[in-house]
Amino acid sequence: MWSYEKRLQYPVNIKEPNAKLAQVILTQYGGPDGELGASMRYISQRYSMPYNEVAAILTDIGTEELAHLEMVSTIVHQLTRNLSMEEIAESGFANYYVDHTVGIWPMAAGGIPFNSCEFQSKGDAITDLHEDMAADATLLKMQHMFKASYATSHIRTSNVLQ
Amino acid sequence: MNNRMKSEREQLFHDIGVISFVVTEMNEYLDTHPTDKEAMEYLNHYVRMQNQAMREYAMKYGPLRISDADGCNQNEWKWATQPWPWEGGC
Amino acid sequence: MQDYSFNEYFDRFPVAMAYVPWQHLTNIFENLDEAYHVGTIFPELEKPFTGRRCVK
Repeated sequence: MWSYEKRLQYPVNIKEPNAKLAQVILTQYGGPDGELGASMRYISQRYSMPYNEVAAILTDIGTEELAHLEMVSTIVHQLTRNLSMEEIAESGFANYYVDHTVGIWPMAAGGIPFNSCEFQSKGDAITDLHEDMAADATLLKMQHMFKASYATSHIRTSNVLQ
Repeated sequence: MNNRMKSEREQLFHDIGVISFVVTEMNEYLDTHPTDKEAMEYLNHYVRMQNQAMREYAMKYGPLRISDADGCNQNEWKWATQPWPWEGGC
Repeated sequence: MQDYSFNEYFDRFPVAMAYVPWQHLTNIFENLDEAYHVGTIFPELEKPFTGRRCVK
């Protein structure tokens, strides 16, 4: 079972709201290569693993990914809190805002809601571990892409997410 | 990155972040290397530091874990009433 | 979990399968504050992104 610690794994303190950036970051929460998928993948796969060590690593990483999705949600929250309707509409975030306002709702950048199709759990140890390696690579790729394309001096998250 | 001096609370909170991260990392290493004695000693050392730091933080400022909620000398249930992590700060 | 050396036990590595080299406890960052920011306590796992994408 799970416990919760009342702190982020790495601090998030965003000074300037930015709704445009928020909708891109949201995909790292509920998107196909996002943290929610990562967590559900590892936590789902662990049951059918034939070795205790593998069940252990999947449990512990799956748990850590929950801490990561908390950081991503926090980034989105801090990027959008206290914005006016006009500011949000101008930013292009309006499509999300109309359904969710400043609530956090897991979905991909393209609009697809989070669902289990974003991960696989085949019950075969080798297959599942390959899925894990592929998933981690796509998640890393996405984060590197963010850094390269959206270099923002006011968002300084740690590489802890990797 | 601001250069002002951290308050005692901020410093302890930061230390808890670093120590807990170290524990997580070594925990995950040990999951796949369960007989590595050197790793286990390293982990034990940091787990002890983590527990100590958590208890100290709970006593001075409020609990970060439910299991530290008894160390607080509280007349209100701080776990619920104190700010939540996504609001920023400690 | 067994740690087989690729050179020594070459016949235990059939083709058409993927293998992951085994991590050993070689180094840990001395400056743990730095490790926290980098995102790992193991220097060999620090692999910063330096390029953009693969282009022919």
